[in-house]
Amino acid sequence: MDILIYGIVNSFSLALMAIGFTLVYGISRLPNFAHGALYVITGFGVWWFIHQLHLNYVLSILFALILMGLIGAGIYRFVLIRVRGMATSEIIATYALGLAILEFLRWRGFKGMTYTLPVFIEGSIHIAGVPIDLQRIMVIAIGIVVVSFMWLFTHYNKTGLALRGMAQDEHAAMMLGIDSDRMAIIAMAIGSILAGLSAIVLLPLGNIVVEAGYNVLILSIAVCIVGGLGSWVGAILAAFMIGFVQILTVRYIQSHFHMVVALLAIILTLILRPSGLFGRQKELEERV
Amino acid sequence: MLDVKNLMVFYENALAINNINMSAQKGKITGVFGANSAGKSTLMYTISGIILDVKKKEEMKGGERITVLGSILFEGVEITHLKPSERAKRGIILCPERRRIFPESTALENLRIGGYLATKEQARKTMDYVFTIFPPLQKLKGREGGFLSGGEQQMLAIGRALMAQPKLLLLDEPLLGLSPLMEVMLARAIRDINQQTGITILITEQYARPVLPIIHYGYILENGGAVLQGTSQELMENPDVKSAYFGL
Repeated sequence: MDILIYGIVNSFSLALMAIGFTLVYGISRLPNFAHGALYVITGFGVWWFIHQLHLNYVLSILFALILMGLIGAGIYRFVLIRVRGMATSEIIATYALGLAILEFLRWRGFKGMTYTLPVFIEGSIHIAGVPIDLQRIMVIAIGIVVVSFMWLFTHYNKTGLALRGMAQDEHAAMMLGIDSDRMAIIAMAIGSILAGLSAIVLLPLGNIVVEAGYNVLILSIAVCIVGGLGSWVGAILAAFMIGFVQILTVRYIQSHFHMVVALLAIILTLILRPSGLFGRQKELEERV
Repeated sequence: MLDVKNLMVFYENALAINNINMSAQKGKITGVFGANSAGKSTLMYTISGIILDVKKKEEMKGGERITVLGSILFEGVEITHLKPSERAKRGIILCPERRRIFPESTALENLRIGGYLATKEQARKTMDYVFTIFPPLQKLKGREGGFLSGGEQQMLAIGRALMAQPKLLLLDEPLLGLSPLMEVMLARAIRDINQQTGITILITEQYARPVLPIIHYGYILENGGAVLQGTSQELMENPDVKSAYFGL
């Protein structure tokens, strides 16, 4: 029973981490390798707002998310726009940015056990005899809210629909007056806000450490590759697969191997089914 | 409404469009006819600006060098260097060759994406209009674009372009690969759209027979240059056109 419950919690955390990454890639074919760094700066941002500026928690979260949106948009507007269309350069540019941000934080001494965020609600409950704290329940709740919100946004909102059009056929969307740079900026902003949101929900469960940035990036990539790059359904399914396997590994093998699962998943997917579970477009290309 | 002056387009050193001068009169249907590789699609991409994006992407990856010379005026304003989305905002909407429907979105979503530039009121009105001229779409609302037949996709593509509130509608080979029955039906629909909404239409087609009767003025392209022009009547009576396009 505890495997089921913690598996679900873990899966939702993975889905939350990865959804921003998938969204940006799915819409504008931009691999945002600064994703992990954005996750970590959100954590430190909120911490800084609370402890240095003495704002209250809710306000700090709000400011941090707005800041993330601006940073995401800024990354596209000032960096990515110059290398747009060259996949390798996009990866190098965003990865370099992420590296710079994380190592800058490390250099400024943001490390160790001192940085934590308060949980939203204290306390824990028992579900079927398994104790679970309310923050982990929040992970599931917010996970569901975020996924359904994004679904509604991309199916019923004008901008959301335009984003999907862009993802399917860039030129056809342009012919209808949808601007690709504008859409990419919006996608990057939303993606970064989602990275920030996942940080805010997940970080109260532990410490804010710089290394988390790299882990989050690897986990997001693992989820996206297993699920098929840019596919949402795939990403959510993959989050559940990896999430449960991780919990089983921790339970029956050793907790050290928990990261290995994600890396192994990447390797196995690339060998067995390079386009991922739901990578439809890539599959077509392979057939041709 | 649209004036193309001394337009030349090169792919590397190959000449795709050779010094074309043409115009589309407001409220009229203008046709452009020519065989494969005559430069019809390049002309459409150049007018709608998509070629600038292709050019930018090619430059980024060090691919083909594309050069555009000459000028394009829309409602008297120079638009040769405007981004495609800017041109769409001014009312130039391209309905591309091979339809380019969004395959994973439903027909209804395709139309709604098309309505990106429209206000809510305009979108509602245009959507009603699209369903009146293309009644078969009514039943296919919920079906994904990729699962529609060629004719259905073409109706949807024209509907989607109408949703963007065009002043000048560019139709690139709208009859490509359709059955003769569908060809007649679409040609009639295109004429109706022009008559009922007053939208200026520029249409290219390889196969002139169903389209020639509905146009007001036409150009014949050959190897990137305009070799012949005239009203619908003049073109139909021209012996060269007769032999080349009607097999008489």
